[in-house]
Amino acid sequence: MHSLQVLFKPRSVAVVGASRGVTPTGAPKLGTAAMKNLVEHGFAGAIYPVNPKESELFGRACTARVADIHGPVDVALIVVPAEACVQALRDCAAKGVRAAIVMSAGFAEAGHTALQDELGAVARAAGIRLVGPNTAGFVDFHHQFAATISMVGEMQPFRSGGVAFITQSGALGGSMLGRGMEDGVGFSHWVTTGNQADLGAADYLDALVDDPEAKVFALFLESVTDAPRFIAAAQKAARAGKPVIVYKSGASAVGAASSASHTGALAGSHAVFSAMCRQHGLIQVDDLAELLPLAKTFAWLGERLDLRSQRARRVAIVSASGGICGVAADECERAGLLVPELSRERQAQIRAFVPEFASVRNPIDVTGQIRSSATGYQDTVRAVLDDENIDAVLLLVTMAAEPRASFYGREIGALSQAANKPLVVTWAGPLSLAQQGYPMLGQAHVPTFESTRAGVQALKAVDQFGRLQRRLRQQQGA
Amino acid sequence: MTAHIALHAMDEYEAKRLLASYGVPVVQEARVADEAAALAAAGAIGYPVVLKGCGPEFTHKTELGLVHLNLRDDDSLRAAAAQLRIAMQGRGELLVQQMVQGKREFLAGISRDAQFGPVVTFGLGGIFAEALADVALRVCPLTHDDALAMLDEIRARTLLGAYRGMPAVDRETLARILTGLSRLALDRPDITAIDINPLVIAGASPVAVDALVILQ
Repeated sequence: MHSLQVLFKPRSVAVVGASRGVTPTGAPKLGTAAMKNLVEHGFAGAIYPVNPKESELFGRACTARVADIHGPVDVALIVVPAEACVQALRDCAAKGVRAAIVMSAGFAEAGHTALQDELGAVARAAGIRLVGPNTAGFVDFHHQFAATISMVGEMQPFRSGGVAFITQSGALGGSMLGRGMEDGVGFSHWVTTGNQADLGAADYLDALVDDPEAKVFALFLESVTDAPRFIAAAQKAARAGKPVIVYKSGASAVGAASSASHTGALAGSHAVFSAMCRQHGLIQVDDLAELLPLAKTFAWLGERLDLRSQRARRVAIVSASGGICGVAADECERAGLLVPELSRERQAQIRAFVPEFASVRNPIDVTGQIRSSATGYQDTVRAVLDDENIDAVLLLVTMAAEPRASFYGREIGALSQAANKPLVVTWAGPLSLAQQGYPMLGQAHVPTFESTRAGVQALKAVDQFGRLQRRLRQQQGA
Repeated sequence: MTAHIALHAMDEYEAKRLLASYGVPVVQEARVADEAAALAAAGAIGYPVVLKGCGPEFTHKTELGLVHLNLRDDDSLRAAAAQLRIAMQGRGELLVQQMVQGKREFLAGISRDAQFGPVVTFGLGGIFAEALADVALRVCPLTHDDALAMLDEIRARTLLGAYRGMPAVDRETLARILTGLSRLALDRPDITAIDINPLVIAGASPVAVDALVILQ
């Protein structure tokens, strides 16, 4: 069993600094948020609030000190002010606590490195694994363990799934997590690493690769504090066949300076980081907005395809808009993907499904008149999915108002379920006219994007991952 | 990639001997004390030759006027040696090199990243290298496949193929240069940076014509 297992799967949790109060702005205090999230998300183990001024919190008996808790404590959430954290951690050590999540701020990120060093030393001496300090916490979605002070806890229930999301920043990470869930991303874990006095991104990645619920990793990093460990964890993920998608800030000099002051860690040279990603098979995105949609793409396509051997280089493009067909072909070329002309036989087959003035070479412009046929669109998509010279299919939906939007949602969902190759959608039309149809794609776990480039980039990433995995197997075989 | 005069560096000759011991093809050259020995070395190497001032303090030789290219006979070699005597003010030695012919110039080197440690660089070389900034990087240690992938990563990769009557570059040798640099970086933590620039392509073969090894 991995040494971090106790952190991820505790039987009992103490909240040191638990509260019921709110701040002057009406937001819950940190100690309130921590209790609320644990209780409301249904943590199944024992919850022990610790606060000398309270006797009961959220229906649990409250003790004045950690030492007063009856029964063992696996994990402690520490939300007392920074200057009280070292003593709180000592109390936890005396109690036999095995992991602590220190959510309080006011350590290295604020220049108080000595205080952080002392906290780390106490944890090491006691054999306690430490998350943070200055962390928003940790969530295990499949075990309803929401050890977080983030207001993202207000979203109930959480959407669970296969994406493990590791972020350094708690505030931005929580925002992305919430938006991600709104966008249909299901999560297995969320870790905010904070100042990484003990555990860092590499440790979480290393541990979670072993967790069968974590199928795809999304990393938002500001710095890499232990490069050899990080590379080792990335290699382990690659060997396990789990994609790791990463966004790293600090490309600009200004960004690097703010990263350093934010977590007290040094941001490294961006070009070297990008090179390391290419070398060790991490999929780097240069737009933070791409991170979770790409993770979702891998999670959803991975439900029906073995992406470890997948190719997506030769793309078939199908749309009722000739305009967007051209844009998609341009984007494919820019991304290094091919849009091969279909064989004469295939073109002849598709010709029978589409209006006579449609273009069937690839891109396939089925034209707006395709709506006069009940099955022409689906037959066309099926024909390219069956084509041995095609690796992946990009469907672009432009102007589609209900009930046509629902036609697309329903039929593309069904085609995707049966597809033996990656199928992604760019939906460029107005969503207000597609209020039934558009959500059907998400329900059917069809990766759907609003821009043509994003759809093409998703296929490029799938191709890149498959190529990397094949190279890895070759090396192992050699 | 920028070197400063105050840096602690190996002289160019020592730098190339070290690189050669890691499998980097280097230009044929001789380090000599005086003009008479330079003439003898040029005779052995064969004209045309290059004459350079050589010493650990001379890290920016072109700017200091310490490089005389394309010397075709004894007289021009003597004239160059006389100029170097004045420029070097009694310091250092002379380096007589074969004049390598090749229009394609690349660079290769190592540097140390604060987080990821030693890094190997390959890219477009020559005097505009920093302005064009066309490089590929890899974190050490490099595999042979990593090195080959670097060659395909630079924007000017078409220069590595057959180009305007010039043959395709020997990619295997280029890759071995890069993996050799990786081994060197790991073996010698006292080396903070190496610049091989230019790495001239003579025919199809890369040759290190100038090299700088910076020590701690």
